[in-house]
Amino acid sequence: MRLLILGTVPIEGGRVFAGRVSRGADGTLLVGDVSVPVSQGTASMLLAAATVAERFETAGPWAVLGGDIGRGDGTRVAYRQLEEALTESDALVVAFHYVQPIMALMREAVERLGPRVDAGELALVADAGGMYAAKACGAASRFELMTPDVGELGFLADPSVSHPAYVTHYLFGAERFDPISLARESAKSNGAARVLLIKGVVDRIAVGGEIVATVEEPNVAALEAIGGTGDTITGLAAALMAAGFPTVDAALCAARTNREAGARLGARPDHRAQDLVRLFPQVLREKLCAWSDACVC
Amino acid sequence: MALFRHRRAPRQTGDDGLGLFLFDDVSAALKAERVLGSAGYEVSLVAPPPHLRAGCDLAVALPRVERPGAERRLRESGAESKEWADTFAGTCALADLVTTVDFGSWLMVRAGNMKMTVEKSTGRIVNTSGGGCPDIPYLNLELVGNTLAGSMRPRELGYTLCGLMLDRAYRECCDLLGQEADPS
Repeated sequence: MRLLILGTVPIEGGRVFAGRVSRGADGTLLVGDVSVPVSQGTASMLLAAATVAERFETAGPWAVLGGDIGRGDGTRVAYRQLEEALTESDALVVAFHYVQPIMALMREAVERLGPRVDAGELALVADAGGMYAAKACGAASRFELMTPDVGELGFLADPSVSHPAYVTHYLFGAERFDPISLARESAKSNGAARVLLIKGVVDRIAVGGEIVATVEEPNVAALEAIGGTGDTITGLAAALMAAGFPTVDAALCAARTNREAGARLGARPDHRAQDLVRLFPQVLREKLCAWSDACVC
Repeated sequence: MALFRHRRAPRQTGDDGLGLFLFDDVSAALKAERVLGSAGYEVSLVAPPPHLRAGCDLAVALPRVERPGAERRLRESGAESKEWADTFAGTCALADLVTTVDFGSWLMVRAGNMKMTVEKSTGRIVNTSGGGCPDIPYLNLELVGNTLAGSMRPRELGYTLCGLMLDRAYRECCDLLGQEADPS
């Protein structure tokens, strides 16, 4: 699978874990031969992406993960390995995920990748800290897909803030919260990727700021409470893009898979993302080809 | 059931005689806030102006006239800032919109971009979600399974603005369940 994911794992000390990703038989996550902790964050994204690789019987995605508990040390080391990882992975899709949102690092990375993006050889995906950094440094419009939740959409739409913690307008839960006009605002202010998968009670897919599709069923409210269920959607979408799905199809199938798995699980707020991922193989096997013509069964 | 509580500081654009201590990371800013608060200074946590931002930024604002004493206090406490900026224009306040979702046996609190879910009967933290900074998976592993009362506060464990927002959710969970948050 020609997908490269740059992210972090919650291990102190700035060590880098790089290699082909696979799922262990017991639900563990392997990067090369090394087992990394499974938690909310990039680990959940990788588990999800790995299930797509299994569905298509291809090698898993390539990951470069910095050991980082919030000091930014692992993030910096991971960025330094980006070029080498790009060569090793021969990626068509590069996803920036849980990284410290350091604008200078993202700006530099996008500048280096820019010629390949412009030539149509590479597509960029961002979520989490990668999305925060891409928007904050003015590079969002170079990205093909971002996957904000409703709490982050206001951030993308507000050009004056560099982190969601400072969004005081347009917050989900506030009066007049309007995701449709916020999607338009985010595109107008160059704060968004070409395609947005907006995760919420209703998942919305926007292209150029206009909503083109929604996914409402099954409605599994508890998914919002479970750490990592946004990460799994991003992993599914990025992997499906790398498998050749058009971006909007990839986003739709990702949202549907997450919800269907949540319904089959009977998701509760005390479940874990890996509980959800365990159901992805059966959902992908049974439903993917019905959801998208891009699926070759 | 959703409860909405919103306390929002007005966005500051003018010069109110305030300046900023700037820091390399959020936890350093929080330490300085504690030191100065304990010493009786009235300070606020804000985003620095755009030209001073690196990405995940937090600054401490206080009246410019108080800078010398405050700087000395920070130095004596090992909480020195990276630099001082004589400007308050262009700063932003932290979001303070908190909402809740009642899941029957569990209560989820949203604060900004972060969520914490607790079991009502026991006060046990059953999940955290949202965010995007690298301390969030670490906080998820450290906090989930503990009770609110038995847990360290996210702001003591985390390093970023996402961690700070999770701390806001934690405080709200404590309030709603009638538990005492660690005052640190």
